[in-house]
Amino acid sequence: MPSLRELQLDFADALFAGDSARPPFATIPDERVAERIAVYRRALFANYGNALGATYPVVRKLVGAAFFSAAVEAFVRDHPPTSGDLNVYGDAFPAFLDRYPHAAGLPYLGDVARLEWAQDEANRAAAADTTPEQVLAMLAAIAPERLASIRLELAQSCRFVTSRFPVLRIWRSNQESDGGGERVSLDEGGDALLIRREATGITIERIAAAEHTWLASVAAAAPLGIALDRVQATGDPFDFAAVLRARIGDGSIVGVNTS
Amino acid sequence: MTPMRGTIAGCGVGLRAPHIRAMQDERPPIPWLEVHSENYYVEGGPALTALMRLRADYPLSVHGVGMSLGSTDPLDRVHLAKLRRLIERIEPALVSEHLCWSGVGGRALNDLLPLPYTEEALAHVCARVAEVQDFLGRELLMENVSTYLAFADSTIPEWEFVAAVAHRTGCNLLCDVNNIYVNAVNHGFDADAYLQALPPHAIAEIHLAGFDATGPCLVDTHGAPVAPDVWALYRRALAHFGPVPTLIEWDTDIPPLATLLAEAATAQSMLDTGDALAA
Repeated sequence: MPSLRELQLDFADALFAGDSARPPFATIPDERVAERIAVYRRALFANYGNALGATYPVVRKLVGAAFFSAAVEAFVRDHPPTSGDLNVYGDAFPAFLDRYPHAAGLPYLGDVARLEWAQDEANRAAAADTTPEQVLAMLAAIAPERLASIRLELAQSCRFVTSRFPVLRIWRSNQESDGGGERVSLDEGGDALLIRREATGITIERIAAAEHTWLASVAAAAPLGIALDRVQATGDPFDFAAVLRARIGDGSIVGVNTS
Repeated sequence: MTPMRGTIAGCGVGLRAPHIRAMQDERPPIPWLEVHSENYYVEGGPALTALMRLRADYPLSVHGVGMSLGSTDPLDRVHLAKLRRLIERIEPALVSEHLCWSGVGGRALNDLLPLPYTEEALAHVCARVAEVQDFLGRELLMENVSTYLAFADSTIPEWEFVAAVAHRTGCNLLCDVNNIYVNAVNHGFDADAYLQALPPHAIAEIHLAGFDATGPCLVDTHGAPVAPDVWALYRRALAHFGPVPTLIEWDTDIPPLATLLAEAATAQSMLDTGDALAA
């Protein structure tokens, strides 16, 4: 008689094997074991597909349900989930789609997936507990000579997606609420996007290259002086005072770290 | 002891994403709600915000589907910590999980997979239930699951296995009447004998749901109305256990909220009739 562990490992292998494979453990009814394992296999892969379909609805719409199911199955075999919580599964799906041979004709698919994953993460992040007025007061209390060494803190929900494709227009034109059918040209240019959550829901906005450089540095916990040096090195125009005011005002910057 | 608030009685419904808006707007007079714990393993956002609002009006039960208590992998401490955090946030009246496993060898198999009913499996799952109860500082409710095959090496009838888990760990039982029916058909046993084998004092909740009968065996899809045979078995369960708090689950092909509430009203009328008979 196999141990419980041996039985579970064999059962797991059977779930990932082909429909006709016969597992090494004995069951009742034994002649129907492959058929019954297949019942579990269908339910399991439906669970994976439903979870990823909820996270990636536009990817699913772009490729269709059958293609999506096949991609999910290939993805699960490459990157099986490790958590009993499927809500956090799928961060590797965009990079998988970049390499998925059957999706080679849709080179923007991975970036659409990145935009959907960013929204999913933003929807699960903690809300800030500071107000813009409090952040402005923190900044006002800092001596001017120390400003270059402070680190600004972004809201937990802030995410960035960059793409060489017009990924936001692709995503928007595939929303249920949109009439659809709007043509997007892949040549119309790429996107740098800031995704974050406000009290009313997710916001997605295009940001200029300089602002992206700055905010990405802030997100990477760079001191303010170094973040601004990086922007200056790009040569792109950047109105720091205006951007700082706007990003404190809209709740993107939620704190100041002086340590 | 982690906090709990409210009392669970009567027939509630499982709160699912498509109904959250309607529940918030209409606040139907349903006595309690159950949520899947994992859907709220988050630090913020609209799902948690909605639940925190509903919690003011409805007693809550949290029902886990991903703890994999029967697995021979180590318990997932991150998962457990998230459950404890959720319990601290919403102070549910009940916390439940399944008598099954959902992953092994580091691979999460996010479904309710069958255990062999052996002394080894019983000792293993009891130790894990005890460990989780100690960690949370409160009793769990353990639910019997639907199964689509039986292991030839099983030596203990399923009903004795379920009763032994309650007896050995002090946990309560979440008796899924639909799962008993599904297994009775799939494995050819007497559903009433199963009910009679469970200790009435340990039954803290009953689940009802619909199954799918189009495949090679009955499959617990939670995607249909409660079947007439299951309603009949439910009435016999109430006669045996008394008016146990009951929940309608509907997880696939989710109908309008009104349909779900009508199912709950049917169960409530059976609970009320049972009360009258007992009085």
